Amino acid sequence: MDEQDLRRRGSAPSTPGRRGPRISRRTVLVGAGGAAIGLAATRVLGLHKLGPDPLALVNPTSAPIVNTKDWISPLERPEAQVAQLLRRATFGMTKAQYDAALSDGFKTTVDKLIETPAAMPKDLAGADAATQDKPINVTALQTWWLDQILSTPTPFAERMTYFWHGHFTSDFRKVTTQTPFIYWQNLTWRRNALGNFRDMLYQVTIDPGMLRYLDLGQSTGKAPNENYSRELMELFTMGVGTFTEDDVRAGAKALAGWREPLTQPMVDYLVARAQQQGRAAPKNLVADTVKTGIYDPNRAYKGSVTYLGVTKQWDTNMVLDRIMQQDSVAPYITRKVLREFVMQDPPDAYVNRIAAGWKKSNYDIKTLMRDVFMSPEFLSPVAYRSLVKSPTEVMVHMSRALEQPALSRAIATSGSGMGQALFDPPEVGGWPSNASWVSSNNVLTRVNFVVSTLSGMPKLPAFGSAHQTHIDGIVSEGTAQLLNGSSDDQTRWLILLASPEFQLK
Amino acid sequence: MSMQNIGIDKISRRDFLQQGLVFGAGARGLAAGYAAVPDVFAKAVYSAKGAGVTNDKILVMIQLGGGNDGLQTVIPLSDPKYRDLRPSLGKEADAALPLDKDHGLHQNLKGIKALFDQGKVAVVQGVGYPAPSFSHFDSIRVWETGDPTRRQQDGWLGKTIEKNYDSAGHPLVGCATGTTSTPGMLRDLQATLTVINDQASFKFQGNSDNVDKVMGTLYTSTPGIYGALFDTAMSTVRDTVAQLKTSAAKYVPKAAYSDNQKLVFSSKNQLAAALQLASELIVTGTGVKVLHVTLGGFDTHYTEQTRHADLMAYLDSAVSAFHADLTAYGMADRVLIATWSEFGRRPQENASGGTDHGTAAPVFLIGDAVKGGLYGQTPSLSKLDSSQNVSFNVDFRSVYQEILTSHLGVDGPDVLGASFDRLPFIRPAAG
Repeated sequence: MDEQDLRRRGSAPSTPGRRGPRISRRTVLVGAGGAAIGLAATRVLGLHKLGPDPLALVNPTSAPIVNTKDWISPLERPEAQVAQLLRRATFGMTKAQYDAALSDGFKTTVDKLIETPAAMPKDLAGADAATQDKPINVTALQTWWLDQILSTPTPFAERMTYFWHGHFTSDFRKVTTQTPFIYWQNLTWRRNALGNFRDMLYQVTIDPGMLRYLDLGQSTGKAPNENYSRELMELFTMGVGTFTEDDVRAGAKALAGWREPLTQPMVDYLVARAQQQGRAAPKNLVADTVKTGIYDPNRAYKGSVTYLGVTKQWDTNMVLDRIMQQDSVAPYITRKVLREFVMQDPPDAYVNRIAAGWKKSNYDIKTLMRDVFMSPEFLSPVAYRSLVKSPTEVMVHMSRALEQPALSRAIATSGSGMGQALFDPPEVGGWPSNASWVSSNNVLTRVNFVVSTLSGMPKLPAFGSAHQTHIDGIVSEGTAQLLNGSSDDQTRWLILLASPEFQLK
Repeated sequence: MSMQNIGIDKISRRDFLQQGLVFGAGARGLAAGYAAVPDVFAKAVYSAKGAGVTNDKILVMIQLGGGNDGLQTVIPLSDPKYRDLRPSLGKEADAALPLDKDHGLHQNLKGIKALFDQGKVAVVQGVGYPAPSFSHFDSIRVWETGDPTRRQQDGWLGKTIEKNYDSAGHPLVGCATGTTSTPGMLRDLQATLTVINDQASFKFQGNSDNVDKVMGTLYTSTPGIYGALFDTAMSTVRDTVAQLKTSAAKYVPKAAYSDNQKLVFSSKNQLAAALQLASELIVTGTGVKVLHVTLGGFDTHYTEQTRHADLMAYLDSAVSAFHADLTAYGMADRVLIATWSEFGRRPQENASGGTDHGTAAPVFLIGDAVKGGLYGQTPSLSKLDSSQNVSFNVDFRSVYQEILTSHLGVDGPDVLGASFDRLPFIRPAAG
């Protein structure tokens, strides 16, 4: 069926002011229970009319609504509901995970995902002992995390670890791989991922990787460094425009005093290097016993400063408490969570409702996430395919769909070409999202990953009804045409995994 | 419903309603069907769609990500406050390359200094905007949109492309190289843009011709709020893959591009490779008009001396190679290079050997079409503002306006929404 056929069959009336032929397109619901040889005949359901365009209600002089083309949301069906949940809460699912969730039902699945404490990964060999001459290998680090993501029995905890990694950003280039810090930080995010936000904020502040990334480890009372003070408020808790430059400078003073820890291998390395260079070994080099920053009161700022409206002698916990008293925190974090898990532009009323509940829970992360998943908005039609999967999500989901967990290294090395190398966000604001993932480069690299993965698998799982499991059977006409026209499973998998439908969640 | 964040979903639906078009691609694309790759490269290089927009000039924006320290880049040689404020960083003045008795370039900008001596570099001093932001994200958005009031969503170059060129028919009009996502400066919901991270891998794997055709069908008439975006991105891929085959066959670099600069921490960006690809796209006549590349690492809160020096060397090496390459191909008179950064840095150095976020800073315009020299006023280090930063004296939109009006030959105020003081750094066209 070519475009001209579609134009003749289109039933939309013309609207005054339109230019050019009315182009009609179809959203096709592929029949359920496709036979092993392929899919059942397509049923064309015609154009799908959406509700009133919200902009039209605001600006009544805009053109009247006729038909627009959108996915037909299947979210009233239990199968689609659990699929929505799994795609968004766990990086995507195997057939078995999908069947189990369907059998448990949506609510029980939410409970199980949220209430299961994070399984800790196995150690990354050599990482604790990293030094300048034995640095952590970045690909090994990325592969280690992906191994965890692919094999963990607690995928929601991993999903939240990944979320915090993109929120409390750092990158291996600045933190360097010459200490264990970038590795420890991942462990810290996981340990705190489902706890209390205020507690997490403290662990983030004193985390050695963070001390290095945003220079708090260099900040002293005599020479306060503003970097962490600014980003703590602007990016991590309150948002742009909720504080003043004076607050940034006061915060820098109030937070100063932390230093990075030294490990025994780091001490040994410094001693050995001094000997090599014929110098005396540095004196007073003692390894620290903790894997966090160390507070040295001698390095702190002595005196009162006015921070966020309060004047006194501050310490780190007081700073964080004062931040948590700001009205901006709950909506700022909530909005970010809703943009990550529900829709790209959540209405203020939705944000405020969820934020109020979160504040009442004293910033318990599990409560927040439960409220998000159980909110009616999460399963509303406007939330269907409202988000674009990040490169990690699409590659992990692909791996799960293919029942093939051994793709961790391939995913690790492919991420940067798609704009997402784990442990290496483009800047302190974190990862792109939704439309900003979609560029000519990134679309090509995603397709190439599918092609090379399928080419490298001598044996593929049977395709069966994978289109039902993974994309709810909701496909465009082009996708349906290609699936119908495929003569073997390898081609069907290619179509499914490279499709625009599969890029969405 | 908030009107403030007009997201893609609302605008693309508006497009459907008001124009019946898939955004980013024209009705032409739909009529022809997506299976065939449009024969864009048989068309004229000039892709202008407006009357009177017929020049062949090209713009290359180089982003210095993180906030480049202007005071270490264009050094105030005769101002004693400089060394007072920068007891350690101020040593760079001793090694600076003098532009005149009062100004010197960082010692590692040797190639750019040589171009300055040939009259091909305009250094615009004190460029900024009112009520400057010290937030990376926020200030980047201001520079990208050309709007200190933060109302605009689209990039100023995206808007330029959308208003003046048929990017749907010529997807390489606006192109970012050496990166994976569309830079904010180029972004516009109604413009088609190309992003090529790495040329060698920019092709379909497997049986590439078959995959190409299948993807064309798969990414056709995709519904939903991202449908048109995905479809346009894929058709751009297919066009670009075809074009790169032709370009690669016709181009060899005629200068030495090197990404081996050792930086204090390794750069994410391969600036030389990005500029080399830009050169290839330019000299092989692909019709590219606006290019964007990035070099990150300028947020030098500590140990700035060596880090900034390394970045200067890297920038200088890549830009010099690029200019030499274009010259060898006879294209140097058509290409304008412009640097931009979200802000400069604080005059007073901090005690970590670095500097904090600042305000106004110099912008470089480089190319044979440039009327070289120093523009704007040297920011006063004696009269700092209440945040202890320099005050701007050139609105950044004056720089944009001159680029648009005098170099690209389009209506600058139409893009920028207002007129700004003229900065005549483009040589008037001969005859």
